[in-house]
Amino acid sequence: MGATRRYRLAVGAGAALLAATTLTACGSGGQGITVNVYKYNQENFQAIVDGCNAKAGGRYKIVYNKLPREADGQREQMVRRLAAEDDSMDVLALDVTWTAELAKAGWIKEFTGSVKSQVESGTLKTPLDTATYEGKLYGAPDNTNVQLLWYRSDLVPTPPKTWDEMISMAEALVAQGQPGLIVGQGKQYEGLVVLFNTLVNSNGGTILDENGTKAIVDDKAVQALAALKKLATSKAIDPSFSNSTEDPARLLMESGKAAFQLNWPYVYASAQKKPDFAKNFKWAPYPTVSGEAAKVTVGGINYAVSNYTTHPDESFDAVLCLRGAESQKLAALKDGVPPTIKSVYDEPEMVEAYPMKDDIIKTLETASVRPRTPAYQNVSTVISTILSPPANIDPQATADRLREELQNALDSKGVLP
Amino acid sequence: MSHATAEKADTAAKPVAHKKKVALSEGKRAERKLGWLLCAPAAITMLAVTGWPILYSILLSMQRFDLKFPDRTEWIWFDNYVTVLSSPYWWDAVWVTVLLTVFTVAIELVLGMALALIMHRALVGRGIVRTTSLIPYGIVTVVAAFSWRFAWTPGTGYLAEALGGDPVLTEKIPALLVVGLAEIWKTTPFMALLLMAGLALVPDDLLKAAAMDGASAWQRFIKITVPIMKPAILVALLFRTLDAFRIFDNLFVLTAGSQGTSSVSMLTYNNLIKGLNLGIGSTMSVLIFLMVALIAFIFIKLFGTAAPGSNDGGKR
Amino acid sequence: MAGIGGAETTGKKVGWGVLNTVVVIYALIPVLWIASLSFKSPATLADGNFIPREWSLENYKNIFATSEFTRALINSIGIAIIATVIAVVFGTMAAYAIARLDFPGKNLLVGVSLLIAMFPQVSLVSPLFEIERGLGLFDTWPGLILPYITFALPLAIYTLSAFFREIPWELEKAAKMDGATPGQAFRRVIAPLAAPGVFTTAILVFIFCWNDFLFAISLTSTEQSRTVPVALSFFTGSSQFEDPAGRSRRQPWSSRSRSSSSCCSSSAGSSPA
Repeated sequence: MGATRRYRLAVGAGAALLAATTLTACGSGGQGITVNVYKYNQENFQAIVDGCNAKAGGRYKIVYNKLPREADGQREQMVRRLAAEDDSMDVLALDVTWTAELAKAGWIKEFTGSVKSQVESGTLKTPLDTATYEGKLYGAPDNTNVQLLWYRSDLVPTPPKTWDEMISMAEALVAQGQPGLIVGQGKQYEGLVVLFNTLVNSNGGTILDENGTKAIVDDKAVQALAALKKLATSKAIDPSFSNSTEDPARLLMESGKAAFQLNWPYVYASAQKKPDFAKNFKWAPYPTVSGEAAKVTVGGINYAVSNYTTHPDESFDAVLCLRGAESQKLAALKDGVPPTIKSVYDEPEMVEAYPMKDDIIKTLETASVRPRTPAYQNVSTVISTILSPPANIDPQATADRLREELQNALDSKGVLP
Repeated sequence: MSHATAEKADTAAKPVAHKKKVALSEGKRAERKLGWLLCAPAAITMLAVTGWPILYSILLSMQRFDLKFPDRTEWIWFDNYVTVLSSPYWWDAVWVTVLLTVFTVAIELVLGMALALIMHRALVGRGIVRTTSLIPYGIVTVVAAFSWRFAWTPGTGYLAEALGGDPVLTEKIPALLVVGLAEIWKTTPFMALLLMAGLALVPDDLLKAAAMDGASAWQRFIKITVPIMKPAILVALLFRTLDAFRIFDNLFVLTAGSQGTSSVSMLTYNNLIKGLNLGIGSTMSVLIFLMVALIAFIFIKLFGTAAPGSNDGGKR
Repeated sequence: MAGIGGAETTGKKVGWGVLNTVVVIYALIPVLWIASLSFKSPATLADGNFIPREWSLENYKNIFATSEFTRALINSIGIAIIATVIAVVFGTMAAYAIARLDFPGKNLLVGVSLLIAMFPQVSLVSPLFEIERGLGLFDTWPGLILPYITFALPLAIYTLSAFFREIPWELEKAAKMDGATPGQAFRRVIAPLAAPGVFTTAILVFIFCWNDFLFAISLTSTEQSRTVPVALSFFTGSSQFEDPAGRSRRQPWSSRSRSSSSCCSSSAGSSPA
């Protein structure tokens, strides 16, 4: 009995499906253009895609193809297929640091004309910078990210303004036997590069020259290395710092052992699941190193269009919708990624989800971009290896080594660590 | 490897080989044909899938070939080999890899043998022991590695707490010990399983007879069990070493190469996949291949007639 | 095999019990830790307690919320079983020939198969990808089954030929002389002796396919053929920085429970007693 009913249901569903596909086939005029989007697994991205498909009115259909969670895994997949001139990829969600590499290799299309001006209008400047290489726009910023200083207001009544102040406050807490640790990202990986880039830029230093072809690592960068070493050798640093990434840092702070955390805004949302912890969990702008506002490294995602796409017009159109204000708002509220279009921050719902939005926008105004070079992966690998473990930094010697090995990496000479 | 087997063919199978050359009997010809027929599916599959990729890697290793700078591609013969072999990063990684391989495989062999004996001989609860001891091998490596990282991180894990809260993964030697432990725990069942199947071939009556003659348990093990198991031990050691030398997943999750714990496979991954330097990356692959081949050659030499393919073999 | 050392005294049984317990503890404590993590609620995930303070099924609910994980499980099991069967059949044929027959090219096959097992797979992935894309095998079951067979075959051939050489084949002859048909001789005499080797090989090959990440991530692109280890790398926390800590943590455990049951039922079958 149950079996027959199920069978009937299945037949019914099948018929409905068949009818639906015939209908849509008619609607699209038989063209059936598909725009394949490749993006990491973003929980509510399918809803955004569905919304854009409805808007497209049958001119094309966007299909969401998932990429792995880890950035390296995403890049590996896309690069392998781009190198093979695979025409089944149309739109790619790129980490902000990949623009130069893919643009230089001729794997992604430049944004021009009206598409370009639509992307630029109303978009924050720093995210746009990350999508620009050699003066041309190669991507449309989807979301952006900057780190803030997170602290426990029950332990720290007024948040520190400077790097040194943060360290001494934390050390004082530890000396009193209070949970005063500082947590952040010190493992040998991109997170360490983000920290280093923030410190160097905040101090007015330079890692690579403007064209990304020459390694500089000037005196200001040496001072930044000293600041990093000071943190890593402080009595208040998380003992696991040299093996820590974003999430272990968050978890350690949530477990009540730390007073300060250098991390992305996503930690706010997860803290809200623990009300006791959340009520004292506050944020402040990133501590300054030189006295001026810190130039925090910007993160985020840009959409690019593959050079091998067979539907460039539809792909650009799809990008405009996928990163449009409506889509960004949905992503910001449901998936916790800060928008790149300024007006989205003014939406009323943003107040509750992003109480720190003013600090994000302010930090973004002075934020810094990681070195723009096609060899960025090499540069990043060299930096993270040489700086690991951060406690062993010898500022001047480390800087000299960085300069030499970065130059080799830029010239594609020698072995990457 | 073919030396070892050829030599054996010389010593033991001489009369056979001699006869074969003189006149191929009907039976011999049929045996040949059957042999080829039986091996064909395996041989064809392996060659079809790996033939070109392996050749291509070897060709790449002799070129300057960086996907980021396609216009600079040129044929440079062995320059890449010079570059890699003169890099301190490479040699650091080689030492880390060799150390990890030697220690983990040695310990796994001992533990695996013990486990195999227990699984084989247990008087009670044999099913439970066999089932549970194989579980570690069935867990996806990356998952196991994540749980180890959690366990060893102070604040989030029971092991770190139990050992006084020291962050063991932040120093080279302790981190390598942790990685080694994770490897041993995960892959001992592989050894044990192969060795247990070898144990199954040791005739019980032989052992009983020896026991009656007054041989101690240890003597029976060394004089009877081990020699009969030699081929199984060789296979277990050989394949475990090949895998151990290419350790990647566990290291990647546990330290990602922090504190100088990079292995040769991680270095290859960084150059080939992350750095897109196909020339250097392929060179590293070929060098890893040569080192592993050397290890395999030594094992096969050491084990002599126990190697598969030798005609006289362990037939008794 | 009972009675190598004479009578089975209670003392001996207790001794074995202790030994067994040691083995079980050694094998299971890390597994219990994984299981424990999987039952922890997100709030207590990082408390470092071996036993969850707050039991929660939230993690399990999350993985099975979409078809993604179930689909990956089906792919993994299907692909691994097919690859295992073919690899074991091909391997048995080749190993029998290597152990029992004399033919030119034998040493070459043995040598070459070992060389294939030795070449670092990471550098073979890109050319394989291009080949498979050209042949339309990319992101299909056969596209994974083929490389799995290939890289499992060396181990299968070595393991099986090592066992086949140790089998006293004279017994077969003797059985035939006693009047058994070749079929009977094989079934009654040879098959029971060969079974442990074949089962062991099958388990090892299955777990090799089950565990593989490199080929699975490089040669698939949709749920159609994505396997469990790869699917794990797709699960996210509520943001891109969150470790699989939150979610993928317990996938491991449910996947493991399946793999272990398949490996162990066959190992029980291989018990020679």
